[in-house]
Amino acid sequence: MIKNVLRDYSRPKLINSIVVIILSFFGLATQNYQYSDSSLFEKVCLELFSPLQSGMTQVQSDVRNFFDNYFNIVDTRKENKKLTKKLDRYRNKIFQLQQIEKENKRLKKLLQFGAEVELKKVMAQVIGWDSSNEFKLLRVNRGLAQGIEPQSPVITMDGLVGYVYKVSENYADILTILDANNRVDALIDNTRVHGILEGSFDFYLTLKYVRRSESIKQGDLVITAGLGDIYPKGIKVGVVDSIEKESYSLTQKIEVKPTVNFHKLEEVVILTKNDEVVKE
Amino acid sequence: MRLSFKNIFKSLMITLLLLILCEILSSTFLPFMGFTNFKIPFNVIIVLFLALRIQDDGLPIYILATQLIHSIFSNEGWAVGTIIGIIVSFMVSITKDLIQFSSAFVTIVTVQVFQIIWFLLMSSILCLKMGDFSKFGTIIINFFPESIVLSLMSPLFFNLLSRIWLKGNSIGEKGSSHVW
Repeated sequence: MIKNVLRDYSRPKLINSIVVIILSFFGLATQNYQYSDSSLFEKVCLELFSPLQSGMTQVQSDVRNFFDNYFNIVDTRKENKKLTKKLDRYRNKIFQLQQIEKENKRLKKLLQFGAEVELKKVMAQVIGWDSSNEFKLLRVNRGLAQGIEPQSPVITMDGLVGYVYKVSENYADILTILDANNRVDALIDNTRVHGILEGSFDFYLTLKYVRRSESIKQGDLVITAGLGDIYPKGIKVGVVDSIEKESYSLTQKIEVKPTVNFHKLEEVVILTKNDEVVKE
Repeated sequence: MRLSFKNIFKSLMITLLLLILCEILSSTFLPFMGFTNFKIPFNVIIVLFLALRIQDDGLPIYILATQLIHSIFSNEGWAVGTIIGIIVSFMVSITKDLIQFSSAFVTIVTVQVFQIIWFLLMSSILCLKMGDFSKFGTIIINFFPESIVLSLMSPLFFNLLSRIWLKGNSIGEKGSSHVW
């Protein structure tokens, strides 16, 4: 077989092959893979072709930078959107936490208020107003299931709100003291003068049946008298706002401003005699 | 295929320029694409083309020239590739009657087979030279992706190199008249 191969090879080709192989083996034997002295040919070639390589590398580097910058901008935009959304979520969360903190403070005060009252307290949240009746009736999220009974008094830390007018399993309607149908037996705190408070317009109350001779001053505190078996005694109701003594009448017309700000009512405390109050 | 000296010189110069261009592209664009461990050995395909298609007395010198140019862009050196190129050209002489470049697929398979021989010899010689056969596996593993890419490119390259080398000369002394 070797003879056949050699027969195919012409003499010059064979000589060339042998010479080149010997040269190559010499080159291989002397080649150092750790360090190499460049020959003149290699130096010329390096000087000649390296700028081309450098140019190509520069071009590809520019192209890479261009795309890198482009993708960076795109990524930054996406990241910005993500972070903005995240920030919005955190702002919302902070807002919620602030609300909870405020609520917590309010509820603490609310519970502290009326500590002297010998009744069970059930915290309730205002969930609706009877808008057709100028906010004189409001709905809370507590009912029979939580131990609420009809005619239970409803208070806040600022004073009297009203009483439970209607109750269902989980909800209750409260007839506020602003309603004309709700009458509160009240007395002036410092003079102990009795009167009947009735709801009137513009979120004011009218204290009726106070004799003309009674000395009532503006700013006098009005509290519950504890009669009528609905409201406990001594709960703040309002302060005397104006007094009108008519010449022909036996009584005075006294306007009382409620101590409770009904415009900002969020939580209330329902006082109940029921021992089976469900705590949540 | 026997060629005139004028044509040989011209074709060899064009081939070497093509090799330079390919080496530059391979050494700049492949790393750019993220292939830092791979470099397509265009010298191999040129040497294989010369061994398979050119029957000329100067073949060993053309192989040497190709390897010298390749050594500018590689730490591999020129000697190993030259020895292997000449060995492969011997092998081609033995198997020449079996090789028929009748289609692109045949070209791909033929180039792949000779590349395997090439890289086995190359790895053996390099390991022998370094006295360390532990890297033999690594060299072979690195070789496969490169060789497949090169084999797939071989019909295109053989076509191009045929146009460079066989322009003005008759084609088909080895294999069919198809220019693959």
